[in-house]
Amino acid sequence: MSDFIVNIIHRPELAPEYAEKVTGQGKKDDIGRSSLLDESESIFRFQQDTAHKNGLRTTIQITYASLFSQQIIDMVKEDHEKYGDEIALSLLGLPCKQFREKYKTHDFCIWMFSMEQKKQIVDDVFGKFYECFGYYPESTGSYYMDAELISYIKEKYPTVKCAVATCWEEGPKAYHTCNNSWYTFMDGGPWNPWIPSKYNTHVPASCKEDDSGIVAIPHLSRDLMACYDGNGSNFGTHPQNVLRGMIYDTKTWEYPYLYNIVDQYRAQEKYNNGYSYNMMFVGPGWLNKMGRWEAPYELLKKSYEDGMAYYGKLKSEGKLKDMTMAEFADYYRGKKGYTEPEVALWRDILYGSDKQYFWYVDPDMRVGINMDQGGAIFDLRPYAAKLNIPVGIGTGNPTNASYPFLIQDKYRAGYFTHYAGEGTIKSAKLSYGGEEVDLCLERTKGHYSKEGKDTILTLDPVDVRFADFTIKLQTKFTFTEGSHRIRIDRIVVDSTDDTKKVHLNEYITACYGTNEYSEDMSSVKLAVTDGKEYKSIDYEYLDRSDSLKGAAAASAVIPPVNTKVSMICEDKEATGYVREGYAFSPMFSLGFEKDLSKGEVFTTWLSLEKAN
Amino acid sequence: MAQSGKGKLNFRCPSCFIRDIDVDMFYDEDKKEYYCLRCQYTGTEEDVLAKNELVRLRYKDMMKRFTSFEF
Repeated sequence: MSDFIVNIIHRPELAPEYAEKVTGQGKKDDIGRSSLLDESESIFRFQQDTAHKNGLRTTIQITYASLFSQQIIDMVKEDHEKYGDEIALSLLGLPCKQFREKYKTHDFCIWMFSMEQKKQIVDDVFGKFYECFGYYPESTGSYYMDAELISYIKEKYPTVKCAVATCWEEGPKAYHTCNNSWYTFMDGGPWNPWIPSKYNTHVPASCKEDDSGIVAIPHLSRDLMACYDGNGSNFGTHPQNVLRGMIYDTKTWEYPYLYNIVDQYRAQEKYNNGYSYNMMFVGPGWLNKMGRWEAPYELLKKSYEDGMAYYGKLKSEGKLKDMTMAEFADYYRGKKGYTEPEVALWRDILYGSDKQYFWYVDPDMRVGINMDQGGAIFDLRPYAAKLNIPVGIGTGNPTNASYPFLIQDKYRAGYFTHYAGEGTIKSAKLSYGGEEVDLCLERTKGHYSKEGKDTILTLDPVDVRFADFTIKLQTKFTFTEGSHRIRIDRIVVDSTDDTKKVHLNEYITACYGTNEYSEDMSSVKLAVTDGKEYKSIDYEYLDRSDSLKGAAAASAVIPPVNTKVSMICEDKEATGYVREGYAFSPMFSLGFEKDLSKGEVFTTWLSLEKAN
Repeated sequence: MAQSGKGKLNFRCPSCFIRDIDVDMFYDEDKKEYYCLRCQYTGTEEDVLAKNELVRLRYKDMMKRFTSFEF
């Protein structure tokens, strides 16, 4: 029996972030104007009624402004009594007349305030919540909750057990989409719920001592391909985001894509021990009466009703469990262990490409594998480093909450680069007689399996064609729970000429960063060793390389992200190498090379460790 | 020259949209056209709506209902 859990969240904002700016064009900034307050309240009521009509319970995230409205307080108390909705507290909807008068700022993202102000605001809103309801909330949230903020809340208000804590791949892509004016940089986290580490919210806790004390849920359930490859703001379980992406028929007002996202999330239970998850959280600004961009109010309303109706239908068929956030936190802790990974096998459901991604998250890493590029690793986050990255005014890092990557094939190219240099990717090259083929050009499909603590991704074999012969090569990835390593097997399953050997170069090209622009690589140290001999290169952009026959490891230590990344090989016939980059190609490469013939397997491991 | 404002709906620039940028357009009452502050696109409401349909060409599976997600 599988579980598909849904959290539906509403917030009575009273000053919707979008309604204020978008529908208020031509009006002087007045966040307290009565028409805005009335409209906001009626939107919240509509959302609540729509959920209840479909037999769904909600989590009401009370905003700062709502704590000054007796009407809202009475309304949510009634919904709590009548429907069992949870009354929670949002740190997202801060802007309102009272907040601005008290804090004298237009800032509204809790993680961007100074630590002193974060504490002051948290105490203020939690205190007001207590005054209104007579208890402290069990759930809270924002687009992002930094580790220091979660620690403070958990210590001071231990009732809190669940929080909305990140929005998957909302980072530079969202910034660009919003005409470079939306400063929510939080790439690099899990897409589905997790227990955050005390050190960094994006990183799943590895053990009890590392446990921040809450269960984190993402802000929306987002398309695990479309949000990575393109604009992240259009592809998720948010009906009006789907309209924003113009993913609907303008004549019939139909949008099957919305239901396809929900269903593809449901399908993930096969890879996650019978559990799958969705979160829908539509802020009131997306349902304002003046419409939103090209979509008139009637379409906004219809899409919300349709979204709720679909969840309601699934519930009535016994295919969905609606939970409040606090209920879900209890469920999650009962369901998942610390080191158990979250896995997704995701296909394109919009562009018609048959492209397929595999995603894997555990306390040591987040990994993305692209089957459309022969199983290349196109995203790699070194969670093993458990990087503590304070964010907010006064930290020297006011806005950037993203977890750094070693590989990100959109920000730092992948296989394809212009004219010269290399991009970040983990792949293999096969060569024979002057010809070379990178597996990035071999499109295939992947299949999931589980053996004990091993999560296995097995790719369909690909044909690698040379002028004289063709080999059939299969790739298998094995992730062993708690190992901080990925085993990669390359198997020559067939060949049209058994006498010929193909040269295989298993490599990773990487760097570090959180956005498109290169960082200083000068502190990177490369080394290749067999345990006795040790060859090293200190990065100076000089395009040097070194190699060692029979090497056991080729590694790079990257001090700015406190990470050691290694390729490991036990085959003494293989040669390990390291390669420095240069200014036009600020990367490094690690690799192992060996000649293979039919029936042979070449095994290497990719390892991630904290550097110190 | 008339002062620009927004139309009855906030049309985005279709040229910017196709490069993943959401930019509201403004309406020039004299020229009876929407125009983009970021690029050189200008067009009537009919032209904007027609270009928005072109934008959808990339969504080949926009109207397809999937029943299986495996290969």
